[in-house]
Amino acid sequence: MSYSTFNQEQNNPLTEPMFLGNSVNVARYDQQKHSIFEKLIEKQISFFWRPEEIDVSRDRIDFNKLTASEKHVFISNLKYQTLLDSIQGRSPNIALLPIVSLPELETWIETWSFFETIHSRSYTHILRNLFSDPSEVFEDIVINEQIKIRANDISKYYDDLIFYTQLLQTHGEGDVVVEGKTHTVTQREIKKKLFLCINSVNALEAIRFYVSFACTFAFAERELMEGNAKIIKLIARDENVHLTSTQHILNLWQYGEDDPEMKEIAEELRDDAYEIFMTAVKQEKQWAHYLFKDGSMIGLNESMLCQYVEYIANLRMQAIGFDAPFENQRSNPLPWMNKYLVSDNVQVAPQESEITSYLVGQIDSEVNASDLGDFDL
Amino acid sequence: MANTFKVTVNGGPELAVDATEGTLLEALEKHQLEMHYHCRSGFCGACRSTLKSGKVRYTTEPLAYVRKGDILPCCCVPESDLDIDH
Repeated sequence: MSYSTFNQEQNNPLTEPMFLGNSVNVARYDQQKHSIFEKLIEKQISFFWRPEEIDVSRDRIDFNKLTASEKHVFISNLKYQTLLDSIQGRSPNIALLPIVSLPELETWIETWSFFETIHSRSYTHILRNLFSDPSEVFEDIVINEQIKIRANDISKYYDDLIFYTQLLQTHGEGDVVVEGKTHTVTQREIKKKLFLCINSVNALEAIRFYVSFACTFAFAERELMEGNAKIIKLIARDENVHLTSTQHILNLWQYGEDDPEMKEIAEELRDDAYEIFMTAVKQEKQWAHYLFKDGSMIGLNESMLCQYVEYIANLRMQAIGFDAPFENQRSNPLPWMNKYLVSDNVQVAPQESEITSYLVGQIDSEVNASDLGDFDL
Repeated sequence: MANTFKVTVNGGPELAVDATEGTLLEALEKHQLEMHYHCRSGFCGACRSTLKSGKVRYTTEPLAYVRKGDILPCCCVPESDLDIDH
């Protein structure tokens, strides 16, 4: 049962389940069980970008003009985004690669996680520009109680799956005693943990990220912190692809298009999956309360952000087969969000500054003394 | 007018949609409907709608999971009269 980096058993990847079948040996894509994952890889790679290409130097001037409560919103939001991508930059690899059984899905997971590391590097790029020493901001992420609550809820499903996978791959199925505690390890138990984990990741990609995007774009709506918004716009586009992948996994299980046992588990744990989503909604509303504890900002306040959480939760839950839980929130309370979420891979009018693909690296931030020549004091 | 179809959204009035002029999403926006969308190119699924009757044709292959009975208006055009919930 131990993991092999090159499984010598001859197997047919077309008949393997997505997870917990034979581990992948040959990375081949000429035949695919679920070709959607390779299409997502191609889409994701076509979106490649580097944080350094985006000029954030104007943001420092804007940042210094913000009120204390706005600075709190901006920095807390950035801390939260840093947390989410710190987790996502490693966890899909650590939790899912040891149990994945399809080459196209294995490569998708690696591509997905790699892009999350680009996001992580971009937060440092943003913070370096705002502060001469961003350590305090980073250090607070593991101290701040509000962030820790979220971190715990996101990482616990991953951690649980990783631990049980390790037990399975070292001891095989059966009771295993670790530090005085007995763990009953079965393949089915791990599948259940996998199901809950993917639901939790899906809620993260579907709701948690969008709460943070709303805060970023609310600043950009006032023409503040626009460099930051350009970066987050690229991140949002990537996250949309990641979300699609977790929705695919959940729907494939649910419709019985993959592992029949996962179909059973999806039915058995449907209420738990619902709860994971609703807990994320509740936590994000609490987060909105924390963000705006010192006051709201023009264009966004606690109640609008909470309405957006409900609106987006409706869309996301319907995408995986639940009824929309918030019937009163069917229209978008933050309609301006959409213009930042449109994927502008079709370049219509490149001179328009809204088009990210054109803007990348295009801002001239050089200022010479001669530019100020006709200024009088 | 062989390319113009009648589209009903959320049980509202019949709207005329020309299948040769942009996607179903764009057509419904022209009729001043508030549409849900993000990417507008078929990979996010935010515009997901229920197709109660009729037939659509995808101009771009959707990457988002399209559940049975659902359509993505951002990347399809009508091929018949439609009745949808959005």
